[in-house]
Amino acid sequence: MSAAEGLIFGLGVALQPTIMLYCLIGVVLGTLIGVLPGIGAMAAISLLLPITYYIPPEAALVMLAGVYYGSQYGGAVASILLRLPGTPQSVVTALDGYPMTQQGRAGVALFASMVSSFAGSILGIVVLVLLASWLSAVATSFGAADYAAMMVLGLVAASTIGAAAPAKALAMVVLGLILGCVGTDVNSGVQRLNFGSTQLMDGINLVALAMGLFGVAEVIGGIRGAERHGVPERVSFAQMMPGRDDARRMVGPTLRGTGVGSFFGALPGTGSTISSFLSYALERRIARRPERFGKGAIEGVAGPEAANNAAAITAFVPTLTLGIPGDPIMALMLGALVIHGVQPGPMMIEARPEMFWGLVVSFGIGNLLLLILNLPLIGIWVSILRIPFRWLYPAIIVFVCLGVYSVRGSTFDILAVAVIGAAGYALILASFSPALLLLGFVLGPLIETNLRRALLISRGDPMVFLERPIAAFFVCASVALLLLSAAQSFRRRGRRAA
Amino acid sequence: MTVSPFRSLMAVALVALSAGAAAAQDWPTGPVRVVVGFPAGSSPDTLARLITQPLTQRLGQPVIVDNKPGAGGAIGVQQMLVAGNDHTFGVTINGPLTTSQRMVDDLGYDTATDIAPVALIATSPLVLGVGAGMEVDDLAGFVELAKSRPGDLTYGSVGQGSGAHLTAELFSGATGIEMLHIPFTSYAEVTTSILGGEIDAGFMAHSAALPHVEAGTMKVLGITSAEPSALAPDLPVMAGQAGLPADFRAELWNAFIAPAGTDPAIIERLNTEINAILADPAVTAQLLAMGWQAQPGTPAELADRIAADTELWGAVIDRIEAQE
Repeated sequence: MSAAEGLIFGLGVALQPTIMLYCLIGVVLGTLIGVLPGIGAMAAISLLLPITYYIPPEAALVMLAGVYYGSQYGGAVASILLRLPGTPQSVVTALDGYPMTQQGRAGVALFASMVSSFAGSILGIVVLVLLASWLSAVATSFGAADYAAMMVLGLVAASTIGAAAPAKALAMVVLGLILGCVGTDVNSGVQRLNFGSTQLMDGINLVALAMGLFGVAEVIGGIRGAERHGVPERVSFAQMMPGRDDARRMVGPTLRGTGVGSFFGALPGTGSTISSFLSYALERRIARRPERFGKGAIEGVAGPEAANNAAAITAFVPTLTLGIPGDPIMALMLGALVIHGVQPGPMMIEARPEMFWGLVVSFGIGNLLLLILNLPLIGIWVSILRIPFRWLYPAIIVFVCLGVYSVRGSTFDILAVAVIGAAGYALILASFSPALLLLGFVLGPLIETNLRRALLISRGDPMVFLERPIAAFFVCASVALLLLSAAQSFRRRGRRAA
Repeated sequence: MTVSPFRSLMAVALVALSAGAAAAQDWPTGPVRVVVGFPAGSSPDTLARLITQPLTQRLGQPVIVDNKPGAGGAIGVQQMLVAGNDHTFGVTINGPLTTSQRMVDDLGYDTATDIAPVALIATSPLVLGVGAGMEVDDLAGFVELAKSRPGDLTYGSVGQGSGAHLTAELFSGATGIEMLHIPFTSYAEVTTSILGGEIDAGFMAHSAALPHVEAGTMKVLGITSAEPSALAPDLPVMAGQAGLPADFRAELWNAFIAPAGTDPAIIERLNTEINAILADPAVTAQLLAMGWQAQPGTPAELADRIAADTELWGAVIDRIEAQE
């Protein structure tokens, strides 16, 4: 079936009233759980799973997928308004989205995030339709050495995110890498830094870390009397429309973010968190005035939001073309299919075309619904800022606890979020960038396991990183980037001296 | 693990309450909790829910699955033991009952003295999968290839001490071959790596491997169960082939367990109900679709299985540790 035939066939499936209804339910739920801090798509989908046993498999998949990509829209809301990322993917959105709120531009930031999310998703769908087979071939040809080299490039590229002093930035990345080591070492099975606790055997919970560093730390800061800046009484539609200057600044980042997101989303195990970090780093790198970032640059909202939404779409590439889930949420969705007697695998597109093409078309419909749903909601979201602290903050803490508990039903994780929150507040006071800590935490274990795996397979020969073309490309790019940064800082120092 | 004084008091009170003979007849007097050491939607969780749904009707009280994932399922067993009061049970895979003792420091429980077996639910064999490009067609050919290049072939598993790792080591030991172990964190990664030709082989669930066999991108050389699987009747069993002993068997399983000290009448009742549920063709068909073979049996048979597997895998772990 050609792409055009497939899409027409898919329209016939996705436009059925029941499928449309489940799509709507999925995206509405996705938006809501995305807005609530800590409660991610994972928890929502596992709760919905038993219900899907009673509806047709196409409808079930369309609904669960709607929750998945819908949560990417909602995640940005609390990030921008309260510096409280609803999902780990939207941590970077807070870096410039929250300063925009402090400048009274919350409406513009939300509008930018919604529009770039939509654009990222739609372009992601185009990539999925046209390049699915190519991307799945790329995904299987990526070996451990390639992953390790790619993640190193990511770490090098992103390590300037926080705009803080280089030494402070380095300290945060290293602390993140150390925290990432906690738990069972994949290669040796040895338990590291868990102090004998079985609760820490699987490592520190990413959601607990993100919620502690951002949500709880922010609330503690609020108690200390952080004043609120420029909250508008009511946001009119005109006020949230980006001006011509803003709109012009959004186009490039949205397109580049889509590119970054589409690529990383399709690689199993890397996912949308990394793509949003990398998109932010990319924008900051190529910006003519990088010092604007972290102070309310609209590019820093548009790029990462386009990236994480595009990644949420192309994450379906390995899942649908190979039957290999790229992340635990995808594994859940495949599990739902198995219950219905649909065996996911490389033959699924041919054997069950209604699943693949119906789902692809439902992505388009779902994203359109999300845009229509979310634009009018912006005014309501902004009005959250008018809720007095004494109501808002306790509510946030309750939602954070619920969200963290929902990940693995662990009261230990709730204690962890309290401790991390206190530490996160100390970091804010000392003007460290917790976003970099999170980046080190996410990338560190990926780099380590892939590096060691690559060396294990090559029997300890480090040339594997230069012999494999993909790995060699990333290694060279990393070195080039380091040299470029060094040259830039030398030039700057020279100028200052003169 | 700390138990609050209030909880211990509650537990003592409940044990006292359930001591009377009348208690077992009235049981269950409230909701029944089944702790699963894996996240919602995972394979052990789905399997547990297939059992707990009909169990709710049969017991006349809600049977609630409580997911407490972590430490390869060991946290689920720990949490079940904390609550232990004739209304809390567990569904677990084999690892936490047979090998966790060797893998986890301070596990906090001893299977032999703290766990009362209730019923085996289902078993899942593993298959040996290799890339489609490997020039072997059967197990004997694979063993021959491995012997001609000692230590050269690589295999993937889902981590140190995982079922896939231990099975591969059992297989290597029994056939006298030497392969290099490459640990991954998920079967998805192992499969991708085999498809991409980065590693040579891996033991995995047959339901996961078969779609790739159908697509011509993977070959499976044999299955680790004593009988061929209904999902792939043509796939030969490994036992007795290529130098393997006739009783060679390596299976993952899921079982229903209770804390030691649970009223034997309650265990008997649960065992009867679970076996009745496993006799339902709709349930066995759903289990099979997920790659699980229903295995009705008595609590004593489960106890034997735990003991036999603890010994089998303990010997394999001894061998791995001796090599290191």
